Amino acid sequence: MNGKGWDRVRTARLGGDGAAAGTTGIGSRRTGSVQLRQMSSQTVRLGRVQPQAPSHRTIYCNDRDANLMARFKVNSVSTTKYNVLTFLPKGLFEQFRRVANLYFLMISILSTTPISPVSPITNVIPLSLVLLVSLIKEAFEDWKRFQNDIAINSTPVDVLQGQNWETVPWRKLQVGDVVRIKQDGFFPADLLFLASTNPDGVCYIETSNLDGETNLKIRKALERTWDFLLPDKAAEFKGEIQCEQPNNSLYTFTGNLIIESQTLPLSPNQILLRGCSLRNTEYMVGAVVFTGHETKVMMNSMSVPSKRSTLERKLDKLILALFCGLFLMCLIGAIGSGVFIDRKYYYLGLFGNVEDQFNPSNRFVVTILTMFTLITLYSTIIPISLYVSIEMIKFIQCAQFINKDLHMYHVESDTPALARTSNLNEELGQVEYIFSDKTGTLTRNLMEFFKCSIGGEAYGTGITEIEKGQAERLGKKLDEVKRSDTAIHDKGFNFDDARIMRGAWRNERDPEICKEFFRCLAVCHTVLPEGDESPEKITYQAASPDESALVNAAKHFGFFFFRRTPTSVMVRESHVEKMGNIQDVSYDILNVLEFNSTRKRQSVVCRYPNGRLVLYCKGADTVIYERLGDTNQDIKRLTREHLEQFGSAGLRTLCLAYKELSMDVYEKWNEKFIQAKSSLRDREKKLDEVAEMIENDLILIGCTAIEDKLQEGVPACIETLSRAGIKIWVLTGDKMETAINIAYACNLINNDMKQFIITSETDAIREAEDKGDPVEIARVIKESVNHDLKRCLEEAQQYLHIAAQSLALVIDGKCLMYALDPNLRVNLLKLSLSCTSVVCCRVSPLQKAQVTSLVKKGARKITLSIGDGANDVSMIQAAHVGVGISGLEGMQAVMASDFAIAQFRFLTDLLLVHGRWSYTRLCKVITYFFYKNLTFTLTQFWFTFQTGFSGQRFYDDWFQSLYNVIFTALPVIILGLFDKDVSASLAKKYPELYKEGIKNVFFRWGVVAVWAFFAFYQSLIFFYFTTAASRNGHNSSGKIFGLWDVSTMAFTCVVVTVNLRLLMACNSITRWHSLSISGSILAWFVFIFIYSGVMTPHDRQENVFFVIYVLMSTFFFYLTLLLVPIVALLGDFLYLGVQRWFFPHNYQIVQEIHRDEVEGISRTEFLEIGNHLTPDEARSYAISQLPRETSKHTGFAFDSPGYESFFASQAGVLAPQKSWDVARRASMRTSKKTSPK
Amino acid sequence: MEMEASSTSPASGGTQAHSYPPLRSRAFHKFTQQNLPACKAQLTPAWVITIFLVTGVVFIPAGLIFICASESVVEIVDRYDIECVPESYRSNKVAYIKDNSISKNCKRLIKVPKHMKAPIYVYYELDNYYQNHRRYIKSRCDKQLLHGLKYKKTSLCVPEEYNNGLPIVPCGLVAWSLFNDSYSFIRETVNMKVNRKNIAWMSDREHKFGRNVYPFNFQNGSLIGGGKLDPNVPLSDQEDLIVWMRTSALPKFRKLYGVIEEDLEADEIIEVHLVNNYNTYSFGGKKRLVLTTKNWLGGKNNFLGVAYMVTGAFCIFLSILFALIHVKNPRPHGDASHLYWNRKSNAN
Repeated sequence: MNGKGWDRVRTARLGGDGAAAGTTGIGSRRTGSVQLRQMSSQTVRLGRVQPQAPSHRTIYCNDRDANLMARFKVNSVSTTKYNVLTFLPKGLFEQFRRVANLYFLMISILSTTPISPVSPITNVIPLSLVLLVSLIKEAFEDWKRFQNDIAINSTPVDVLQGQNWETVPWRKLQVGDVVRIKQDGFFPADLLFLASTNPDGVCYIETSNLDGETNLKIRKALERTWDFLLPDKAAEFKGEIQCEQPNNSLYTFTGNLIIESQTLPLSPNQILLRGCSLRNTEYMVGAVVFTGHETKVMMNSMSVPSKRSTLERKLDKLILALFCGLFLMCLIGAIGSGVFIDRKYYYLGLFGNVEDQFNPSNRFVVTILTMFTLITLYSTIIPISLYVSIEMIKFIQCAQFINKDLHMYHVESDTPALARTSNLNEELGQVEYIFSDKTGTLTRNLMEFFKCSIGGEAYGTGITEIEKGQAERLGKKLDEVKRSDTAIHDKGFNFDDARIMRGAWRNERDPEICKEFFRCLAVCHTVLPEGDESPEKITYQAASPDESALVNAAKHFGFFFFRRTPTSVMVRESHVEKMGNIQDVSYDILNVLEFNSTRKRQSVVCRYPNGRLVLYCKGADTVIYERLGDTNQDIKRLTREHLEQFGSAGLRTLCLAYKELSMDVYEKWNEKFIQAKSSLRDREKKLDEVAEMIENDLILIGCTAIEDKLQEGVPACIETLSRAGIKIWVLTGDKMETAINIAYACNLINNDMKQFIITSETDAIREAEDKGDPVEIARVIKESVNHDLKRCLEEAQQYLHIAAQSLALVIDGKCLMYALDPNLRVNLLKLSLSCTSVVCCRVSPLQKAQVTSLVKKGARKITLSIGDGANDVSMIQAAHVGVGISGLEGMQAVMASDFAIAQFRFLTDLLLVHGRWSYTRLCKVITYFFYKNLTFTLTQFWFTFQTGFSGQRFYDDWFQSLYNVIFTALPVIILGLFDKDVSASLAKKYPELYKEGIKNVFFRWGVVAVWAFFAFYQSLIFFYFTTAASRNGHNSSGKIFGLWDVSTMAFTCVVVTVNLRLLMACNSITRWHSLSISGSILAWFVFIFIYSGVMTPHDRQENVFFVIYVLMSTFFFYLTLLLVPIVALLGDFLYLGVQRWFFPHNYQIVQEIHRDEVEGISRTEFLEIGNHLTPDEARSYAISQLPRETSKHTGFAFDSPGYESFFASQAGVLAPQKSWDVARRASMRTSKKTSPK
Repeated sequence: MEMEASSTSPASGGTQAHSYPPLRSRAFHKFTQQNLPACKAQLTPAWVITIFLVTGVVFIPAGLIFICASESVVEIVDRYDIECVPESYRSNKVAYIKDNSISKNCKRLIKVPKHMKAPIYVYYELDNYYQNHRRYIKSRCDKQLLHGLKYKKTSLCVPEEYNNGLPIVPCGLVAWSLFNDSYSFIRETVNMKVNRKNIAWMSDREHKFGRNVYPFNFQNGSLIGGGKLDPNVPLSDQEDLIVWMRTSALPKFRKLYGVIEEDLEADEIIEVHLVNNYNTYSFGGKKRLVLTTKNWLGGKNNFLGVAYMVTGAFCIFLSILFALIHVKNPRPHGDASHLYWNRKSNAN
């Protein structure tokens, strides 16, 4: 049995257990309180459990005055980060936690002292612009949050006042109030469930906002409170609730309800959490227990630590290198100043009292102080606007490109791709290892009942895709079996066998065992039926598709499960001898022994109407076989054979077994069970032990086989990805045969590969296991694993060296457990890294995460995990990039992921197109930033040598402060958005191009060094060419240039050159490139015309007054402006030319191959000018018209400490969900089922 | 690509209900689908060769023109700081320059190498003089220069802010160290007229130095840095000061002294009477007198011409080199076998 499907079951347990617990107080069937804690142990927690003070709170229901004393929190929630007063201090504090901002703050402070050569504006302006942008973003997001809070807080709710229901806004709700919630309404606070319109005091709730699960769960009120439904009755309710203090554990609650001096224990089963919604119930009445921020969902609000991309960490190193460079430059300058300073330069006025910085008598102090001077002078070497720019680029990449890409839009499920974080775009371009879940990721998770084996007889005539594939590999041709007219192809049912269909099983050899088989399917589950109670119309709410497939199968076999009450299931059976005789049978469900990942089975104790007590059990073959009685070895042997057959056909198998129970045995056991269930410590463990006591001596009925179809395009996608140099590992809970077959089916393994199989299913291990000594077993397995690993490694080396064959490794969970041991880990890593594909089967969620981090940390490769279920969450979080499959059902993987896509095949687009572009673009942006700031600062550095190392600034303050934020800001952002080396279709056609990202070709130290070299070269050209050319260069009136004329000239050259250099770095030049580049150069000229044209009354030195007009009146200006950029760029041009000529990058060759081709899509667009639209356009337009309910509340969600951006909310796209976001969504009353169509 | 096909078909049916989007959203579509029309820049060998060739072809003639222009300028440079010190003081020039009792007059003979057409510009050139030193450059007060004594916030001018408790106008080290050598030229016993007006940038004269600001308390201290100013002439007319105060970019600089408005013939001997007041001896600076003519490009400066020439020549050289390589051993353009994954498989 696949672990994934089963994990789903546990949530349904909430309902099932609720049903069981609902019987509390009815005689001997009392099953004790529900153990929701079990759930929480497996569910991804939103936050840590923080036990409150030991004291409890006492709530007087329906009595506001009595509750006044306790001063409970009000129900209004505020999710804003700031208020009017705290915004500035708190917001600024957040900003200065970034090192770059802090650095510039310190430089700004330093530049207010006389030690600084530059006026404070030089550093203050860029810093404040950056801060301004960030703060505007914060304020904007917070404003959105604030408005959302208002909307939520003023949602109306019915509160009992006197004898009537009064509608008040949520925020006016108080602890102790009695409220009424109607169908599909959201609970405004944590409520104690008192009564509902349903019989038996139950109500159904949906918790999708809390945990993403869409199946309904049952809650049941205490019997004592069932009557308080109508307002006049409810007004009489004067209970007193004593309960725990607010805490964040979603699945626990302890408390008592005291009514008329009668104490009734409360369990989570009576608690309705804020954020859930009411379903299938006309209305319910509850008392408010926790309000506002004290509700469990709000107490879970905790931001998830954000991942940082590898490129960004590399960027940190680059910044560090820049700091070192800065230090070195300052040191050189400072030593120079100490040496230079001398009284002989009398014109410097160094006689008498000289300030310390220029005092020749203390050269050491001069050196130290000049150091600080130079740090402020050269501060531009650290690119302050880099972070903001990257943030903006990445955000737009996410919101506009990834989320709106039609190639990643799944029409059938109407799901676009979703980037939940904007931190990791470029990481997608460097992924080397993909860890994939199987079910739901590679396969569709559309479970179809395909085959079965009953009492040693195999039924079902279908042939799976995998069998077809196998046959093809062997060269055989399978004839498609003609479908008989009995074949039914329903959702979840694809089975055909005339022997048992349509009641024909009655004529089989052993109809009794068939009956047991079907009953087991119909009774032993946790499915909730929904809708009309007719076989055609009913829908099953199941936690996993396997479950509903099995129940559905029972329906088709004539055992139609149609109703579940808390204590029983109703099955419409048509097994009776005469055809057409249909009978509704009610089975009392006495106990449910839950599924969990250690048990790998699920049992139900049920009582037939005739009093027969039976335990039905279904579970993984291994655990069931361990617990079988000794009877009927034949069936065991035959069934095992069938299991293997089914497994190798890629089917998921489950064994079914049952056991008759006698009344007294059961009673005895039930006592223990109740004891265990009510025990406070180690409850889970005790329950397992008790279950173990009754789940033995089982009688095998047979097994089921369910087909899990491959998703569309998976083999092609995997082939493309492996050509891109990405290695794909499949981590699955499935059996080895199934896993290998799926791997074959999707091209991961083929017959040319050398396969290494490390399995625990060897004779030696089995032998040891039979002996049963755990220590011995561990030792044996460990030894065998160690031995296998060594052997495989040796062979692998040989194969790699000699045959150059590709290798595949298959390992099972048990062996993996030992192979992950620190001693063996190295070998495992070595072996698996030399394999092209690895399949790990029967692994637990934890092992998935361990394998992921083994590669992530051990091999230091960039990893991506993709999965769709709760069991993949740990793996998704462990990897560098987590991708969730969204669409079908279950949100947990998506909620934990960084990117969500609807289909596995969209990985091609996500990685090869978006990831690759993102990576190449960001590499360019970063290196370009590095270059432009280095060039600029180095010109300043060369000038220092000409000024007696005094730290005189070369440029005017405003030039320096606006250089980064205006004159060179926009083009680089345009580059980061639009640069496209090869088109999307070419990127997919030549997946090998992706390898450049894996090898990090574009952001190595070598690349940085080349840029640094040219920055060095260019800065020399700028400084020495302009000064040399201006030495005697004056106009015909013989006047001479001063310092500011020369520096303005140099700055003009720098701005022009640096912007043109960007143009040279572009692969494709759109009109936005030309606009932004010419705009930046123009901005400089406009600025300097205005700036040097006016004299201000303020106290500034009029250094550059009229300078540009003086310059422009000379030929010198124009000649230099032509010469310097060309000479400066000559080096780059030569380098680029030589590089492309002799050492072309692969993408450059691809560009050349497809040089004359117009891109496919754009060509169609060219043809369809006018009113005609391409389907793509029309579709994207259609998408843009879709209602986007989620976007309303999530726009501001990009606020994790990383680099998220600002325009987040404007995009209005599906944005990542944070826990508080969950709370908000939960609280919104918008109808969830707004149809997008 | 196959995905396009597969996902297009079901969607196209559903979208017919929608009206056609406006033009703007179509542009937006191109943006989100990253299909903006773009020109693909590829640095192919032909482009490389062409660009180098064009640059060379443009630059070499331009360079020639600039060199010719520069060569047409006649420039006489005469270093006088050593010769103008009497033999007896050569070993201690600082003492000589500081001793006010010694006459600083000095006579130099200059031979005109070529015909020099008026106007002839007279410059003085200083060396090792850090007018761009931070302490020096900030020691001035532009507002005071414009508004005179009315402007009080002259703290930047230290150490030349006050003298004897009275403010100095113009204050600061820059003004204090005003250059004060003077030159007069005698041609066959006739004094040549040196026009000392209009030697500063007009913007400086008119906007930076006040018309009603007169020197006050200037050079009255115990230490005298340089030239004195006539207290009866407003600052806007003190063009020597204005020129001096447009601080130079490099430690070696020229400043305009005046203009001789008559032609000089070739081989003529000009007698220069100069007063060697200014102290460059303590820091080892050189002083030169420069007489030069002008053309459309300015003074004599071969740099631009040479730079253009060299760059052009280098480009031509590269274009020829690349062309040769291209002809001899052409790189197949867009050859798929160059892709490394193909290369590898070829090797096997």
